[in-house]
Formats: sequence, C-alpha cells, structure tokens
Amino acid sequence: MARELLTLYGETDGTNRTGDFPLYSDIIYSTGTAPFTPPTYIVVPAGMKAKIWARRVSGDGETDVIIQWSPDVTVATPMWIPVERVKLAGKGSIELEKRRPVVVRGIRGVEAFKISWSQPEAAKASVVVEVELTDEED
Amino acid sequence: MDRVVDELGLVPEGEHLTVFIPATGTAYVFRVRSRVNRGYEIINYGPLPLPADTPLLRLGGGLIPVPEFGVLPGLSYNPSTTPINFPTTFNVYDKSDMWFIPKEDRERLFHVKTFITPSWIRVSVDIPRGVPQRRFQKDRVVVDVDRPFGWSRGFIEVVRFPQVYYGFRVANDTNLNVRTFVRFVYGEYVIEIPKDPELVFNILTRRFPSYWLTMPITVMDTTLRAALTETYGFEGFPLYPVNKRDEALRAYAELLKGVKV
Repeated sequence: MARELLTLYGETDGTNRTGDFPLYSDIIYSTGTAPFTPPTYIVVPAGMKAKIWARRVSGDGETDVIIQWSPDVTVATPMWIPVERVKLAGKGSIELEKRRPVVVRGIRGVEAFKISWSQPEAAKASVVVEVELTDEED
Repeated sequence: MDRVVDELGLVPEGEHLTVFIPATGTAYVFRVRSRVNRGYEIINYGPLPLPADTPLLRLGGGLIPVPEFGVLPGLSYNPSTTPINFPTTFNVYDKSDMWFIPKEDRERLFHVKTFITPSWIRVSVDIPRGVPQRRFQKDRVVVDVDRPFGWSRGFIEVVRFPQVYYGFRVANDTNLNVRTFVRFVYGEYVIEIPKDPELVFNILTRRFPSYWLTMPITVMDTTLRAALTETYGFEGFPLYPVNKRDEALRAYAELLKGVKV
C-alpha cells in the first residue's frame, strides 16, 4: 500500500491580496520555466486520498489561508470549493495539528486541492502543510 | 504455511522458494542453500535511472522530457521501448543492468524487492524486456502503467531469472514533477532444485512450507522460454491436485532427470 508524507511550503507574493500558493517540497522538482514551474494545486490520483494533517501559517499581516478542492481540474475553468479556512488575525503565526485530517479523495484522478490566501492588505505570509498521500483505507 | 521468510521478506537458508509462472501454470521449486549477502540485503540505489532529456509519454497524450536525472515529470510514464534497467558502474556482467546474470550462474538467484519513492509511483515489469505482461481477459486487453490498472504502487517483487533482461516501467499520475528514489531489498541465493519428487509434490500441494512468489508472467515469450530451459533444463513443474499424487510423482521424476541445478 502506498503512503507518502509531504511537507509543502508556500509564500504569498506580497503584492496581491489574493492568490494560490506555489508549493515547494524536497520531493517536488521545479524551476522557473514551464512545464516545471512550482505547482499551485495537487492532483489526487484515483483510488488515493490526500490527508492534510497540519497547517502552519505565519505572516506580517492578517491572512486567511483557504484549502480548496476541485472535482475536476482538467476542465478549462475548474470549480474550486473551500473545505477549510485558517485565519491569521495579524502579524504572527498559528499552528494547527488536528487528530482528524482534512481529506480530499481521488475518485477519477482529476480531483485536486490547492491552498489559497486572502488578505485585506497585501503582505508577506507563508504556509506549511503536512500532506499524506495514501491509498490505505484509513 | 507459505510465509517462510524472515523480517525482510527474504527466504532464509535451508528454506524453499516456489516461483509460480501463470503463463505456463508451472512452478520452479528452489531450496536456498545459502544467502550470501546475509547482513547486507539493502541497496540504497538512488534516483530512478531516468537520464535528463529522455522523452517520456504524457498520460493525457504527448511527450515530456526528463528535466533532470531521476526526475519523473507529473502525469508521465516511460514506454515499453525505453524501459528502466538499473545500470551500475560496478564491474558486473552487464553494466546496463545490475541484476543480469548469465545462465552459467544458474545456481544463483536474485530475489529482489524494489521500493520506489514517492510510493504512489505506478510500477510494472516487462519480462523479458519489451514484452508487457499485464493482461486482462486473456490477451484481449494489455494493461500497464498507462492504464487504470495493471500495476502496483511503489513496490514490486520478482526473482531475476538468469539470462533474462527485465524492463521496468513507471508512471506518475499526480501533476507533481517528483525526485525519485529506489531502494532494493534483495537476497542473493545459492539455490538447488530438490531432487525428491515427493518433496516437490508436497510443496506444490502446499503441504510442505515454502515461500510462494507468483511472477508477473502471463505471456511466455520465446526468448524467456529458451532462457529458462537453458538455465534450469526444464520449464518448471506442472501443478497437480492432491488426488493425482502418483501421476505427479512420475512426471516430476521424469522432469528431474533433466534438471541442471
């Protein structure tokens, strides 16, 4: 059975009030050139599920971090549905490690999740999430 | 009964290994006389041997190059024509495939468990190289890493028959371009085929303990058939039901006359 734990890191750009975090990890290869630019979403393979165990947000100002799920990321304009929101009230950091993870299932292999930010004023902020990709039942 | 393995999943000295081949319905029964790499069964091989710029196929169609050695791009796979062979710089029989041994080394058998990181990577093996072995409904459908099934994720276990080149295939069905890693857990066995038909019968009717490994061989290619025959002297023991004991013993005794190891 497959089971892989990923630590994903992303930063806001500091200039836009909203956006999707580009995601970095030791296991993810990326450059500044397409098609190898850092991913802003992760496709969950069919039969697997992504379990998002921990969220750590830090930043220079108020920041909402939103985990969003798409039923089909291959269409021209994917629909994104929020499944969790973490609010950083101001400058500082917040850590959430829950006994139950946020789960995103891969049913057809086109489902995906992404992590977005929303700020009243653009500011630098970062997010770290611990994601487990697994095909185990629980 | 058939879990005659140690904590690494390898067969200890003195125990038996039964390698079943679905394509022929036959099995080779080996007794492990010695496990010469006892205590150093793990090889941290490194990245998948995917050279930079190797063209891979996209799961949705099209091509994508390997951007850097060992990186498997998102939604890509290697075709049967460019298999993975696990080369080495060591002075082995064939540096393009560290697990290849010639038929003259027939008393040696590599039992290899391959673990791939990230563990969601789909993996399958062509035996021999270039002959896909994953089928559905006999030969109506060939399934492999580019299909919805016909593979396992992150792990594959085989024995490496002498004189046969294997070709591995991988696929990455996430959109992530991933740095890969391979770990082998292997046994280098010195083997013999038991010469007692009664023992062979008892093993093949599962009345005597043996570790059973079913090889992913659903098509008996002519080169594979020739390699097995040249190496071991026969194509394996057919399986008989328990109530055909006398018939089985006669057949096994006849086959054992031609065994080479």
